[in-house]
Amino acid sequence: MNCAECRDNLVACIEGLLDREESLQCEAHLKACASCRAEYAAIAHLQQRLIAHGHAAADVSIVEPVMRRVLQQQTKPERNTIMSVLLKHRWGFGLGTAAGAAAIMLIVLLALPKTQATAAEIMSKGAQAVANLTSIHLHGQLRTLPADNFSYINADCPFYTIELWKQFGPELKWRVEKPGRVAVMDGQSTVLYIKTANTGTKVPHPSSSAFDTDWLQRIANVSNTISSELNNAQAKGWKMDTTEETAANGRVKSIVTIHARSGIPENDYVKNVFFENADTRRVYRFDAQSRLLEAVQVYLVRPSGEVLIFDLSQIDYNQPIKPSIWQLELSEDVNWKQEPQKLPDNEKYTSMTAEQAARTFFEACARKDWNEAGKFMSPVSQGLKNYLGGLEIVSLGESFTSKAYGGQFVPYEIKLHQEFTVRVSNLNAAKRCVVTGIYDSKLQLQQDLKWTNEPAILPNNDAYVRLLPAEAVQAYFDAQSKLDWVEMRKFTSESDVKETKGQVEMAGKQGLDVHKLMPVFEVGEATWSAEQSAWFVKCRASQTKKWNLALRKDNPAGRWQFDGGI
Amino acid sequence: MDLTDKEYVERCRDGHPEDYRMLVHRYQGPLFSYLTGRLRDRSEAEEAAQESFVRAFLSLNTLQKPESFYSWLLGIAGRVAKEQFRFLKRRQQDREVAETMMANAAADHEEYPLDEAIAVLPETYRQVILLRFYEELSCQEVAQRLEMPLGTVTKTLSRAYALLRQELQARESADQTISQTEHP
Repeated sequence: MNCAECRDNLVACIEGLLDREESLQCEAHLKACASCRAEYAAIAHLQQRLIAHGHAAADVSIVEPVMRRVLQQQTKPERNTIMSVLLKHRWGFGLGTAAGAAAIMLIVLLALPKTQATAAEIMSKGAQAVANLTSIHLHGQLRTLPADNFSYINADCPFYTIELWKQFGPELKWRVEKPGRVAVMDGQSTVLYIKTANTGTKVPHPSSSAFDTDWLQRIANVSNTISSELNNAQAKGWKMDTTEETAANGRVKSIVTIHARSGIPENDYVKNVFFENADTRRVYRFDAQSRLLEAVQVYLVRPSGEVLIFDLSQIDYNQPIKPSIWQLELSEDVNWKQEPQKLPDNEKYTSMTAEQAARTFFEACARKDWNEAGKFMSPVSQGLKNYLGGLEIVSLGESFTSKAYGGQFVPYEIKLHQEFTVRVSNLNAAKRCVVTGIYDSKLQLQQDLKWTNEPAILPNNDAYVRLLPAEAVQAYFDAQSKLDWVEMRKFTSESDVKETKGQVEMAGKQGLDVHKLMPVFEVGEATWSAEQSAWFVKCRASQTKKWNLALRKDNPAGRWQFDGGI
Repeated sequence: MDLTDKEYVERCRDGHPEDYRMLVHRYQGPLFSYLTGRLRDRSEAEEAAQESFVRAFLSLNTLQKPESFYSWLLGIAGRVAKEQFRFLKRRQQDREVAETMMANAAADHEEYPLDEAIAVLPETYRQVILLRFYEELSCQEVAQRLEMPLGTVTKTLSRAYALLRQELQARESADQTISQTEHP
């Protein structure tokens, strides 16, 4: 063995990977060559350092605690601005767990066509091609809210991935997953786990669909889906187009486009007219040779143009599904949502109307009687206690039902109060009081405002220097309430202004009246903290919320249970 | 198949925060080891490591070069370690603990050449080093994990060692120059 060969083999030699003969040759060379020996010693020394370094860290395991914190942060884009902290839960249903309120907004994606003969033929052969599936895996994306279960669609929301695995036989099993939450039916029971809140809901029996996965489950029965789409389109006289495309690999694809027209306004989902009746264009892509459906896109057709709202980009048929897909790795400290048990005075609650239940629940929240509130939802999370505690009921309306939802909705208007503290500092070149952080009522830091640059010295800086800490905070809120971003920037960091502005725009896009949403701020006393070299100003925000409380009573105790809509 | 740091960072930014798990898994060992070196206390190091990962996640959008994720994370961890010291110093009730820690802990200006040298390795080499030493896999297991021949693993290790030694030497000679300037 010469020097070059020896050096090529040094690592393998140190690792004990050489065969006996090579090893002897290497050792012989090392004995004879001082330079290779020195190289060997240097590598061995470095390796020892690395082993010691690595070994010290070998049993560390911080993935789960880090991910919990990361995903918690993720569920509260609120952390970024005071406004979102205050408007928590504002943007949707699905606070958590239950099978849901959002089921209504549900899409029954595939319901319809009319035809040229070729389109009908492609659809019909496509249905036959997948008539006897053993398993399916769907992968796509949906415009929705992260904090909702699996069925809410809103054309103004960003896309989130959604996946479904389904085994049809010998035993039905399924799993539906989007970022932050997953539902699994393993043949024995059905579990929804919300990673972001570390909460779980378990239904102790198998089910063909649950937790707002119904529409996706129906799509997964591809053969029925295609047939039913074809039947509907023919019955309703919807236009169907067909085209052909050649993919990069030379395979021919048949594209069927269905133009579903209803003339019903698009977006009042609680009244049941969002998707299945909305004007949509659905594009089905089949492989011309195998006849298999490969992708589906659904566009919402608005007067202002089309928006892609659901994009099913990958469908795997009859592929073996790994057993781990049916298992959920849950940490031990999961908060399990409990099925309501019968109470000694259960009848008092079962005899309530939905409105009475809503009133009793809100009144319990108003006096922070969490035992009583807990009879309508269990457990009442700390976040919800903070949010609803001390509320005032303005009005409750008549309950109504909605086709796809098994519970009832009670329209309500409540006034919410939230206490928090703002940290202010004037230790900057401009000597103005500026906001540097937001704390909750228990002085837990909610938002640490990062100032990339020092506050600038303004042309009329003195006027701002003269403001006392509480006055500066009041001015900050006033600017925010007026959506005066320039003025707001004088009191807070650029990123805070940017995030707030973004949320206001997002709320506007969702058709919400931002001025009405804006809380009324009250500023209290300021206290100096020597430790933090900053002022802490107590504040209270009040806001009115008008929405529909979703309640259902299909549980063993027969009591109305909170299901969303806060 | 594992993705690169850059790909994971981009996926996190694109609304897949769950993928951050892969980066935490990949770097928890080396980061913890680095922080243990600085703080000389395992539980403090663990806390600081968690905090560093969370802060890094929250600032992910500001990371200019996603391929340098680990090197950037190490910078964040350095600042977290400093803050942790200051915090302990301030807390009266922890005076004793703080004093012990301050006595044990490495001086602020001390260098951590091996950690920093690992951080600047090209990702292919760093990946093999992390699997071999921080996940304590054998070369055969590394080969299986990365779906590469065993010979490629030993060659990659060999090249990684050479790069690490070069980097360590460069750092050491830079240190010497500084100390000669300071103490002529």
